[in-house]
Amino acid sequence: MRDLFVEIWESIRRNKLRTCLTGFAVAWGIFMLIILLGAGNGLKNNVRSSISDAQLNYMTVYPGFTSKPYEGLKQGRYIELDAKDLELTKGKQFASTIDEVAPVVHTSGVSLVHDRRHVSTDLMGVTSLYNQIRPQKLVAGRFINANDEAQKRKSIVLSLSHVERLFDGKVDAKGAIGRKVILDGLAYTIVGVYKTDMSMMTGDSYIAYSTLESIYAKGKPDLLSFTFHGLESEQANEQFEDRYRAVINRHHRAAPDDRRALWISNSFTRSLQMDKGMNIITVALWIVGLFTLLSGIVGVSNIMLITVKERTHEFGIRKAIGASPWSVVKLIIAESVSITAFFGYIGMLMGMLGCEYLKVKLGGPMEVMGESFTAFKDPTVGLDVAIEATLVLIIAGTLAGLVPAIKAGRVRPIEALRAD
Amino acid sequence: MLLELKDVNKTYDNGQPLHVLKGIDLSIDKGEFVSIMGASGSGKSTLLNILGILDDYDTGEYWLDGKLIKGLSERQAADYRNRMIGFIFQSFNLISFKTAVENVELPLFYQGVSRSKRHAMAMEYLDRLGLADWASHYPNEMSGGQKQRVAIARALITHPQIILADEPTGALDSKTSVEVMELLGRLNREEGVTIIVVTHESGVANCTDKIVHIKDGIIGEIEMNDLHNASAFGTTTIMK
Repeated sequence: MRDLFVEIWESIRRNKLRTCLTGFAVAWGIFMLIILLGAGNGLKNNVRSSISDAQLNYMTVYPGFTSKPYEGLKQGRYIELDAKDLELTKGKQFASTIDEVAPVVHTSGVSLVHDRRHVSTDLMGVTSLYNQIRPQKLVAGRFINANDEAQKRKSIVLSLSHVERLFDGKVDAKGAIGRKVILDGLAYTIVGVYKTDMSMMTGDSYIAYSTLESIYAKGKPDLLSFTFHGLESEQANEQFEDRYRAVINRHHRAAPDDRRALWISNSFTRSLQMDKGMNIITVALWIVGLFTLLSGIVGVSNIMLITVKERTHEFGIRKAIGASPWSVVKLIIAESVSITAFFGYIGMLMGMLGCEYLKVKLGGPMEVMGESFTAFKDPTVGLDVAIEATLVLIIAGTLAGLVPAIKAGRVRPIEALRAD
Repeated sequence: MLLELKDVNKTYDNGQPLHVLKGIDLSIDKGEFVSIMGASGSGKSTLLNILGILDDYDTGEYWLDGKLIKGLSERQAADYRNRMIGFIFQSFNLISFKTAVENVELPLFYQGVSRSKRHAMAMEYLDRLGLADWASHYPNEMSGGQKQRVAIARALITHPQIILADEPTGALDSKTSVEVMELLGRLNREEGVTIIVVTHESGVANCTDKIVHIKDGIIGEIEMNDLHNASAFGTTTIMK
């Protein structure tokens, strides 16, 4: 083994410049591959973390317009959820799957007042479960809880930007807790402040479902969310959705299979689809990276061909004094793999440093138009990618050396007798 | 017989068939010092290739040390060359980026001999040829005679059955040529090495004990030359 490396080193040492130039192409290829995969991981991690903020599997049900006539009613009819839907959802027939139900009522364009300053907001009547399903990033206080709900307390959770505007920036998030704001003539206590992100602009205000229901006399939920368990496959989820839709649709006299009358958004299948999409992105990045690497590999192959041509006489001598074809083939392939692996590792190291740089520069939330926004989260590659890339390098080096090596193996020992 | 050729024929077919060896019969015994002499185009190079298992022949038989050398795989041929034949070339054919001692070690490397053992053996052979001080020099730092002596050490190190020398003095001046031929003669006399020299120079051939003349692919006269007076150019010099 040591002799093999001595031979390779002797050969590379004689052609430092061209070996380095070719090596650069390989290093660049691997560098790009690692950077691409790192960025891809960053995207993936970001999406994953925003999904997995909600640990629970849940579905959200939205009303829609019927898309087909049913029981003599024409299509295009708007469905409104009502108290009966809530009852059906909580009912016995789904009890084995559905855990908790969180109805949401929604009132748009209400006005919050404090000391003659006001802001306009959308008001959401929610239950404490809502925060588990769609977690808000609380910066102070707490979310609406079960006591708010049970006692129909006038507690309110506001977004940070609303707090800043209502209190003219004089009070921070912590200071706002316990303060009163006026909403439609009634005083509410601020119990929590949350931070909005890019996807939600200025943000809604939250009060307890029961409070909103009683004050605004709105007996109907605008949408329903519920957590569930026991649906492990995509198929099981779809079957359940169909069964659920049929029940609710029938209540509204819409066709049981009318998918547009009732929209169901399922976090479980959505994350499955997201995973699928992410995997496609990863595959695409691998392909792009490998094609970048390919040009480096072709370069190595080229250089090895030249090396073999230059060393034809030498290989002839070696064979004349007893080198088997395989020993010559081995020499060339080992040299090719060595060049590829050595420069590949430099590229990999650089790529990993590049990923760390990305992590520092783009890894956290970025300020875009005053809103924080995260594009990449932990854009780095793990040990798995390093191992995969090593395999890629060894395979690539072998492939690059294959044709030149076979050529070298075919050198006839008579070449040694050619005086030149 | 150490080496026996029976009716060996070889035809090259480069567009037009060229019958180079037309039935060669030749026997060489252990310990002989033979030269094969012929003009260019006589077929002596082809014969050398066949003797050295560098090339195959079409019909006939070639026996070397009791083994029929015919239709060998490349690997087998390489192994036989390695163990049975030592080559000395006109242009020395040392590997330029290896030192003298590394060049001498190379045949042992292909036999799988351990690093330290082959180094010791190579040093011993270089010492015997008076080149111990030059062991770590590269070929381009040595004179032609020194290079050829390194090549001879490389040929000897595997204890081959025969040494095949292809125009061993072709690239040397006349003084060095005499030295090299004397060295080969001494190796033959003192150590009983079988040596076959292929040459077109009568002076070189005269240094050997037996001269085989080849002409137009056929063995002609076989001259016994124990007294080394076959040459018309005198007995002590090699005419260049």
